Amino acid sequence: MTEDPIPAIAAPSAPPGAGLLVLLAAMTPEPLEHVLASLTAAFPAEDMLIAMQNAPPADSYPSLRIVTAPAANPSWTLTAADFVNAYQLAEMNDSSAILMLGPSSSSLDSAALRDLASAVLTTSIDLAVPFYELPPRAGLVNSAILYPLTRALFASPVRFPLAVHLGLSRRMAQSLASSAHRFTASNQAEMPIWPVNEAMMAGFTVDQFEVGPHVQSQQTGLDLKTILPQVTGALFADIDAKAAFWQRFRPSPPTRHAVSKPTLQTPTVDAAAEIASMVYAFRLAYTNLQEVWSLVLPPSSLLALKRLSAIDSAAFRMSDSLWVRIVYDFLLAYRLRTINRGHLLGALIPLYLAWVASHINITASGTDPESHIEAVAAAFEADKTYLVSRWRWPDRFNP
Amino acid sequence: MKKLASATDPLWYKDAIIYELHVRAFADSNGDGIGDFPGLFSRLDYLQNLGVTCIWLLPFFPSPLRDDGYDIANYVDVNPSYGTLNDFKLFLDAAHQRNMQVMIELVINHTSDQHPWFKAARLAPPGSAARDMYVWSNTDRLYKDADIIFTDTEKSNWTWDDTAKAYYWHRFFSHQPDLNFDHPAVMEEVLKTMRFWLDMGVDALRMDAIAYLVERDGTSCENLPETHLAVKRIRAAIDAEYANRLILAEANESPADVLPYFGKGDECHMAFHFPLMPRIYMALRQEDSLPITDIMAQTPAIPDNCQWGLFLRNHDELTLALVTEDERDYMHIAYSNDPRMRVNGGIRRRLAPLLDNNRRRIELLNSLLLSFPGTPILYYGDEIGMGDNIYLGDRNSVRTPMQWNSDRNAGFSRCDPARLYFPVIMDPVYGYQAINVEAQLSDQSSLLHWTRNMIALRKLFQVFGRGTQHFLKPANRKILAYLRDLERSDGSHETVLCVANLSRFAQPVSLDLADRNGAEPVEMLGYVPFPIITEAPYVLTLAPYSFLWLELQPPRARPESSSSTLPAS
Repeated sequence: MTEDPIPAIAAPSAPPGAGLLVLLAAMTPEPLEHVLASLTAAFPAEDMLIAMQNAPPADSYPSLRIVTAPAANPSWTLTAADFVNAYQLAEMNDSSAILMLGPSSSSLDSAALRDLASAVLTTSIDLAVPFYELPPRAGLVNSAILYPLTRALFASPVRFPLAVHLGLSRRMAQSLASSAHRFTASNQAEMPIWPVNEAMMAGFTVDQFEVGPHVQSQQTGLDLKTILPQVTGALFADIDAKAAFWQRFRPSPPTRHAVSKPTLQTPTVDAAAEIASMVYAFRLAYTNLQEVWSLVLPPSSLLALKRLSAIDSAAFRMSDSLWVRIVYDFLLAYRLRTINRGHLLGALIPLYLAWVASHINITASGTDPESHIEAVAAAFEADKTYLVSRWRWPDRFNP
Repeated sequence: MKKLASATDPLWYKDAIIYELHVRAFADSNGDGIGDFPGLFSRLDYLQNLGVTCIWLLPFFPSPLRDDGYDIANYVDVNPSYGTLNDFKLFLDAAHQRNMQVMIELVINHTSDQHPWFKAARLAPPGSAARDMYVWSNTDRLYKDADIIFTDTEKSNWTWDDTAKAYYWHRFFSHQPDLNFDHPAVMEEVLKTMRFWLDMGVDALRMDAIAYLVERDGTSCENLPETHLAVKRIRAAIDAEYANRLILAEANESPADVLPYFGKGDECHMAFHFPLMPRIYMALRQEDSLPITDIMAQTPAIPDNCQWGLFLRNHDELTLALVTEDERDYMHIAYSNDPRMRVNGGIRRRLAPLLDNNRRRIELLNSLLLSFPGTPILYYGDEIGMGDNIYLGDRNSVRTPMQWNSDRNAGFSRCDPARLYFPVIMDPVYGYQAINVEAQLSDQSSLLHWTRNMIALRKLFQVFGRGTQHFLKPANRKILAYLRDLERSDGSHETVLCVANLSRFAQPVSLDLADRNGAEPVEMLGYVPFPIITEAPYVLTLAPYSFLWLELQPPRARPESSSSTLPAS
């Protein structure tokens, strides 16, 4: 048997019975100070147990109960190991709910923390997910792939399915730990877990809460070439594992009407140059990756890409329907192992850049970014039948 | 050390896709012309990609191989031709890592005459413990009401042993003496053998020739109450010591006679449905659904934790033991005109040649296999439409090397072709240069791809493995139509309407689906919505040998219509 890389957790010295367990990602002293202050403002200290790696000395925060959480490799997202640890700690301390605070938690204020935790502590909600307020060009992998895919397949309205801050009921934590354990037992403790998908499968209640602006931490070595294959691959694998569930028809989630937010400070880079470089990357890939794309995409999509490659960057627009089919066909190729999965997801990157270039052009022409993202998500929902039929009968001889 | 079960669901076998193979025939890693465990190990990815969830291994134990390994000379080792015990363990772990369970044979009715127990029994004095491991008699008139099974080879179930100066009982070949289950030491040895393999992590045991364990004079020596007691004892030992394991009964009997082997859910978890298989072939040839509906009407309900094992072909002859004389004659004429195609009253041919290599017929029969209530069992090579070699003796016609590619020896072995345990199939239609895995993997329209897709589709719907079956009764008997239904724990239903055209011509059919009024059938392969069911007869037209699987979705839960073309960008 493979040894479970998640060690058994020793019972903390804190008294048991804390209603809320807060599992905090490792962080430097300054943001930690800020997060603890927000937590103190949000909850009575006696009802809260905080667990974190490298916990500060007990006398640093005498009013708080802080215990050491098991070691887990730092990650920009919540991992399988985090969910296993969270449930084990909750069990040990008889906590009725868990607040998981991943990286960059200092950007959440006490009201946001209270919303996430109260939902799972005092209502029947099992999973509380934040709705982040992001700059228009931030989180676009989520907007282009993660959000619309989970919404279309799992009928979930959650805008940030891979949120790094979560409120969990005890049973939600148990369900997630059970799924996560499969990864930790096979030395894949750093795999992202998809709480929303798990919740929808279990029939649990999910809600999302506006938590204001979110500033992602700057981590080295994490660029698009790393992030996109990692999260997309993990989501594709999860979708594959849950095929028997999402292929049964589900009612669509209520459409979330995009709310206009005060426009945040946009980056000061030259947008036109940025679009031009993305379109250039797409055109280059169109020349170099034809062979790979032709194994994955049907003729109609390849023809549409050919047309797209001839459009100059200022007028560059990728239709929502084309993007939907690209993602669906890459998902299918992932399932069928049409080519090496690493190469497959790498070949998706220039197509994603094309979508981003198109998205920026569309929003620059006056369309609200959130409205466009909602339109993309709706297109994913409308074309779900295409995915199901291709999934069930993946004959390459198709339109 | 006892290993934990690889399956987490106690009823895992209900959703399984079982693949039957012989280690000897699958892949040879060391170039000696005989398949082995390292070879099988190297092909696990192929099986996983096919969608197999349980590998059933034919006997791989030390044996003189006079009955393809069912003559066992040592129960707790691996035949050196196939590798070592460690090779088996490596294979087992690798299968488990791929979420596949492994089933092995528990051949306990008899041993080889080369087994040390039998060698000792012959020399032991009458009445001694060693002698009593087997069934001896001074006369060959005892148990005279028992049938002879291998009629082509054996004239009696008794054979005189000059050393023992007595007759010994053998229900099968004379070199396979029956163990004596009236002797307590036999059961102890059986349990010891069973624990040896289950401790290692083996998930399932196929109990060979289960109906013949105990003999009593004046009976057919089949299905005796004492035999059931023996099976119950084995099951009780498994339940007491292991979780999520399986016993599959090989009892070539009518459904009513097989029923007791399930007991009250306390004997075997699964049993083969033997009589269904010849009737499927009969129905196809006669273009009449009656043989199928008739045998299913005779099939009793089984305990909730039990399951039928379904198959189209296996390593033995297509048995006709459970059909009438007329039916047997018909089957012989229809499917084995050449007497060399027959053995022991059955037909020793593979699936594709039986169906004249007609792709639509192969697909149709597989659609029945995958949609009937039970767990489907595929025989190695049938997923690519392999042929047979009727010039090989006994049932070896269907046990030729797996055809992996068009290289020497079909990619099965690197040895001198003369060294192969059996020659590969080389005829122009089924030969390895035309029929092989590599070619079919590169051909999107191949039978292999079709089979893989169908298995994947079946696995999406638990109703196939766990649901009830209700036959519709259309006036056109060339059409076989049935509903599969599963009530889920939340009260919702998973319902599938299966319609199959047994005829070589297109056929119309009107189905009475009034009690499904308002439901919307969605064709499952393409996810295509069909017209909503009303109280009027539901009319369908089916192409020759075609079939439809339609998921009946409740009125308010319908998919939007599918658009097959990409809107202009």
